[in-house]
Amino acid sequence: MAARPRSGTTGSPGEIEMRTVLLLTIATLPIAAQNPAQNNGGFDPHDLSGHWNRTSRFQTFSNVYSGQGSRQGTEEAPLTEAGKAMFDKNKPGYGPRAVPPAIGNDPMGTCDPLGIPRLLNTEVITPHQTMEIVQVPGRMIQFFEWHHDWREVFTDGRPLPKADDLEPTWNGTSVGRWEGNVFVVDSAGFDQRTWLDKFGHPHSENMRLQERYRRVDKDTLELTMTLTDPEVYTRPWVSDTKIFRIDREKPKRWDEQIYCVPTEEYRFNQRVRDEAGGRGAGK
Amino acid sequence: MAQRSIHYLSAVATILASACLAFAHHGSNISYQLDKTITITGTVTEWDLVNPHPQIYFDVKNEQGELVHWAAELLPTPLMLKNMKAGWSRTTMKPGDQIALTCNPSKVTGAKACLAKGLVVNGKEWPLGPGAAPPAAQGK
Repeated sequence: MAARPRSGTTGSPGEIEMRTVLLLTIATLPIAAQNPAQNNGGFDPHDLSGHWNRTSRFQTFSNVYSGQGSRQGTEEAPLTEAGKAMFDKNKPGYGPRAVPPAIGNDPMGTCDPLGIPRLLNTEVITPHQTMEIVQVPGRMIQFFEWHHDWREVFTDGRPLPKADDLEPTWNGTSVGRWEGNVFVVDSAGFDQRTWLDKFGHPHSENMRLQERYRRVDKDTLELTMTLTDPEVYTRPWVSDTKIFRIDREKPKRWDEQIYCVPTEEYRFNQRVRDEAGGRGAGK
Repeated sequence: MAQRSIHYLSAVATILASACLAFAHHGSNISYQLDKTITITGTVTEWDLVNPHPQIYFDVKNEQGELVHWAAELLPTPLMLKNMKAGWSRTTMKPGDQIALTCNPSKVTGAKACLAKGLVVNGKEWPLGPGAAPPAAQGK
């Protein structure tokens, strides 16, 4: 037998309660749809702002052997012959090819700008160096605590200039857009004096970089990158997934302003590191 | 010029766990013998609490009674300062202070530079590393 239609507020107490819940749910749907934070466990996936510490392990562009920790890398950097020659000329202070700073040429040793993507790969390390993301109309800005460096990503819809129109810069030229909940940053125009990481992986001025940021929950930001640089790498090189955790205590602290000061670095190298590396005064 | 009381005590090799590798600045791991420590006492000539590493410069009297100038680097400065409870400051040491320093020696024979692992200043032990308590909290 078909159920008799009901109207008004008639019905058993249980049925009334169920309908009330249903009506309240329907009534709040449009509000929730306009406020992504209510749909995503208390966060807006398009809000990347905050202080972030990288907690994922690899300080290289990807999972290549760096000599750190007990686990070795599982990937070879896909260097071209020219890339291999550039790599051999870079003398890092870290990893399996490390040399004493006295005979090395890591740009860090002279406080040269570290550039993108090295700042992302290596220098945002918990607990003492963070990256702050600030989103303002038309721009996303990343502040890097180490070296007090910062970088702009334009989000006003402008296209990335043609490579021939770009003068190389330390952090490159970057534009960003949203693809769903993924913030995609395309960059070009990099100064080739920077390294990809502290292990000496090189790049050319023609490197193109795509970063894909995704806030996976209120505390976690993921980043994967794809590097395209045919002069130096045989194929587009995809990074490991960099994991960043939010640091809500950071704004409450009085942390040091972490500058790399050339005069201090020079003095330190001259008086300590050169001596330790066998290049002390008179040697 | 005030006479400096300088004593060269010992150089002792011991095996150490390299727990602080992750904190190393560029070149720390490759420049020093991380599996050995030496203990040196001397007189501070200079204390530089600057980047990239705080540095102690000090005079040591060798077995021939000659003054030898040494330098030691500490952990990266941001890590040293992160835990302000430790109280590191520009006045932690001053010229003339007596120190006993335990450190990793250079890989280069005869080099007078080392990586500090333990520090006693005028009889008070100072923590090297984030999270350690300052001398006052240790009752020293």
